[in-house]
Amino acid sequence: MYLPDFEYYQPKSLAEACRLMTKFGSRARILAGGTDLLHKMKHEQLAPEVIVSLKGLKRLKEITYQKGVGVIIGALATQNDIAGSALLQEKYLSVCEAAHHMANNQIRNVGTLGGNIVNAVPSADLPPILIALGARIRLMGNKGERVMPLEEFFTGVHSSVIEADEILTEVIIPDQPSTGSTYIRFGLRRSGALAVVAVAAAVTMEGQTCRDVRIALGAAAPVPMRARQAETVLSNRVITDDLLEEAGVCAARECSPRSSIRGSEEYRRDLVRVLTRRALQKAIKEGHV
Amino acid sequence: MSQEYAVIGKSVPRNDGWDKVTGKAKYTGDLKFPNLLVGKILTSPHAHARILSIDTSEAEKLPGVKAVITHEDVPSVKYGISPARWDENIFCIDKVRFVGDKVAAVAAVDEETVYKALKLIKVEYEVLPAVFDPFEAMREDAPLVQEEYPRNINTEIHQNFGDVDKAFAEAYYVRTDRFKGQRTYQSPIEPHSAISHWDRDKLTIYSSTQSPHYFQYYIAREFGLPMGSVRVLKTHIGGGFGGKLEPTGLEFAGAALSKLTGRPVRMFYDRHDMFAHNRGRHAQFMELKTGVDKDGKILAVHANFVMDGGAYTSLGVASAYYAGALLTIPYEFDNYKFDMFRVNTNLPACGAQRGHGHPQPRFAFESHLDNIAQELGIDPVEIRLRNARKSQTTTLNEFKVETCALTEALEKARDLSNWREKKGKLTSGRGIGIGVGSFVSGAGYPIYRTDLPQASAVIKVNEDGSEVTLYSGSVDIGQGSDTVLCQMAAEAMGYLYEKIRIVSADTELAPHDFGAYASRQTLMSGAAVKQAGEEVKAQLLEISAPGMGVTAEELDCREGIIFVKANPEISRTFGEVAREFFVKKGPLVGRGVYHVPKLGGKFKGAAVGTSPAYSFAAQIAEVNIDEETGEVKIEEVWDVHDCGKVINPALLHAQVHGAFYMGMGESVWEQVLFDDKGRIINANLAEYRLPTALDMPRFHSDLVDTIDPNGPWGVKEVGEGATTPVMGCISNAITDAIGVRINSLPLSYEKVWRAIQERKKNKSGE
Repeated sequence: MYLPDFEYYQPKSLAEACRLMTKFGSRARILAGGTDLLHKMKHEQLAPEVIVSLKGLKRLKEITYQKGVGVIIGALATQNDIAGSALLQEKYLSVCEAAHHMANNQIRNVGTLGGNIVNAVPSADLPPILIALGARIRLMGNKGERVMPLEEFFTGVHSSVIEADEILTEVIIPDQPSTGSTYIRFGLRRSGALAVVAVAAAVTMEGQTCRDVRIALGAAAPVPMRARQAETVLSNRVITDDLLEEAGVCAARECSPRSSIRGSEEYRRDLVRVLTRRALQKAIKEGHV
Repeated sequence: MSQEYAVIGKSVPRNDGWDKVTGKAKYTGDLKFPNLLVGKILTSPHAHARILSIDTSEAEKLPGVKAVITHEDVPSVKYGISPARWDENIFCIDKVRFVGDKVAAVAAVDEETVYKALKLIKVEYEVLPAVFDPFEAMREDAPLVQEEYPRNINTEIHQNFGDVDKAFAEAYYVRTDRFKGQRTYQSPIEPHSAISHWDRDKLTIYSSTQSPHYFQYYIAREFGLPMGSVRVLKTHIGGGFGGKLEPTGLEFAGAALSKLTGRPVRMFYDRHDMFAHNRGRHAQFMELKTGVDKDGKILAVHANFVMDGGAYTSLGVASAYYAGALLTIPYEFDNYKFDMFRVNTNLPACGAQRGHGHPQPRFAFESHLDNIAQELGIDPVEIRLRNARKSQTTTLNEFKVETCALTEALEKARDLSNWREKKGKLTSGRGIGIGVGSFVSGAGYPIYRTDLPQASAVIKVNEDGSEVTLYSGSVDIGQGSDTVLCQMAAEAMGYLYEKIRIVSADTELAPHDFGAYASRQTLMSGAAVKQAGEEVKAQLLEISAPGMGVTAEELDCREGIIFVKANPEISRTFGEVAREFFVKKGPLVGRGVYHVPKLGGKFKGAAVGTSPAYSFAAQIAEVNIDEETGEVKIEEVWDVHDCGKVINPALLHAQVHGAFYMGMGESVWEQVLFDDKGRIINANLAEYRLPTALDMPRFHSDLVDTIDPNGPWGVKEVGEGATTPVMGCISNAITDAIGVRINSLPLSYEKVWRAIQERKKNKSGE
């Protein structure tokens, strides 16, 4: 296995990066952590003529809090940067937990938030919890930038609304009223296993009443999806175990998992039911964990 | 502390530990030679196809390519590891038989050029119908994988001992169960590689091998060379587990490429190549019928098996015999019938994997026995105690078992695990199960027919007596045999472990030994080393006796001090006497050789399963099942082994931990999967899920003491036997937890989930 030949650019600014992407279009690929890109190139699944590396754009690694805006995570933050961020640990431990249980330590040291989103794989770990927390993303392109809900980014397996000249620069988790959030992934061994199914939930509780809830499913459809019918079951209702089970049943009904070597469609559907209930229970009881 | 032995029985540090931990240790793929070329094999993309033409001209033109070879450039002599069925060629001549079969090879200046050149070789194929299922392969109309095996039956076995039918007729309860195993792969962490250098009339091959001897034998045979013209040696090895026992295309193609180019050639497999080359565990289809009396005493067993062998024989003839032969060892019974078909399919060839042929049948039998116990209302430990083999017995297929402490092991495992407080009393989703196992301490006969001794050793004492070198053909593949054999040499000589160096696994520098397989080295290589050490000691005592005013018989030597037994104050050092010996008589050398006494019966296949000694194990596992998701958590395991005298406790327990880890993977997680074209779909460590450290349970490795008279100091094996009880043990624990039996491996989360769903459905339907 070897890397095919390519031209390599390491722009010093985002603007320059966007210009390069505009110039080369679909002949170019962006290199962030490289855990996905280099693997695919070595296995002859991708052969870009040009690589535009973002490694020079150090500012995109930062994780900051901006009053009135929320937590801003740079797209080049690695999974370990996210798992170890004191700011995130304080505000949304659920995001740190999601990052911490991904892949293995070597991968987490280089794999980035941006890559995890832009690759648009159904089993990606970070999108569901970010969607549950109502995260928005910032895309920088040649014609300027746009901010959109992460939820609207994905259009299918390996496809999204991103344009050839656009670069994902940051993810914004807005300040929110939610009182608890969690992410539960089900893998086929304790470490180094892709999620067979994952469920993220964020709830806004007022006493025993659920005022608002967002449920996002991973590996349960071609894209990370909101379980909106399940959310409806819970909205403005007094939470009981039966109601949570009903939400799980609902989520299992509305998702559309496929059969693969990691699990059959019916197994995944039942896992969605169980994990949805468990994620909700945990978020309600324990806060942002 | 026991004063009986000075060096053995102690957990001395491994002699390769420092180099491995600091990264200094070099594995074959790390070695550098001047003018080294890199080589790789082109393999078939089809499961079954006729080769119409091969055009290498474009590849040859690529700058940096030094040679491209096909079957036309190499000997056409068929090879294999089982002499009964030599059915492999260095490169396929007329047709390819599985995705991954060898077609051509390239040597070039670097890896990138090699990969590019492989893509430029044009092979024209006529795709043939392929068969992937052993039962379909046995049908009259099935495509033939190998023309010489009608109905694709590669090996057929029918053995019959006692009168099974009569015993079934007289039995209180007769039960039949069917079980299914899966293909698994050894997955050593170090990929195979070989560096071949054919320099004038001498071929030298550095290889990641478990047996330099068999490689030397088969490579010399293939190229028509005297064995002395072929030197096979190794550096450090990152695990084998049976997958590095037979020569691969890397050695044969590398040798041919080196001869052609006059340069050393490094050939290597990547992870995908390893899975495709395979030689891993056969998938077995196992029907067991057993008759018992009302107390659960086994009266008769009929084992009716089929195994998927893949495209070639490899070690599969032995695997097929082992599958049935070893079923007779842990439990005593008098009537036994064993039927087996090993069937060729268009899939990678299967071979020997830790426990060789035995772990899946043992899983089946342990599960089957628990079903019987449940039916009769007998506790699973109790039914095993009632049937457990005793010392100084002979199995119905004529294996002599000198020592067996299975009863003690069962009792100890039962007590350590608090079995009585747990069995039937655990909360929902939790379960406890037991399995037993056993294995040969070295196969009684080598793989090909020869009168060579099993093992030999030479010890040379340095001229000034300050150091000693042990020369042994044994092979340390990570299990620690270099350390254990140095301990044994030191004990036998009365010397210090720290001062012994070892030269091993080199067909030129070390004397003959068959290598690391069949759990043979501690007993067999150890016996030769012990004898060599004793010969050194005898010579030292002989020469020092007159000066010390006593006879040699009145002297002993321990930890480098020669002393009068009756008055230890009178002493001389090993070093000064060794120097004196050299000055007066020349090199101080000890020699040892080990032949297995003639073993076994006269029936067809009687040799497979013979051994000087057998290990035994009882293992209990406690599991916790998530009843909603089917997730299996193995919580705690108690393993009690009867493995004779222990030379190095730390290494022994490490073997048990490692063997359990492998068995656990095969129980729940591991399976090689194929698509409908015979292509492996999980030939990587992300989707072929070996368990991780986080999946390991709390693990207790304990021992019962035996001293087997057939092993040096009473040793028996541990490396493979420790894998044999695991699958049955975990199967029984999971069954206890969920109340239903899953009859096919692996016992994956989804299968467990499905079994629970079905149980619920059946319950609500009642």
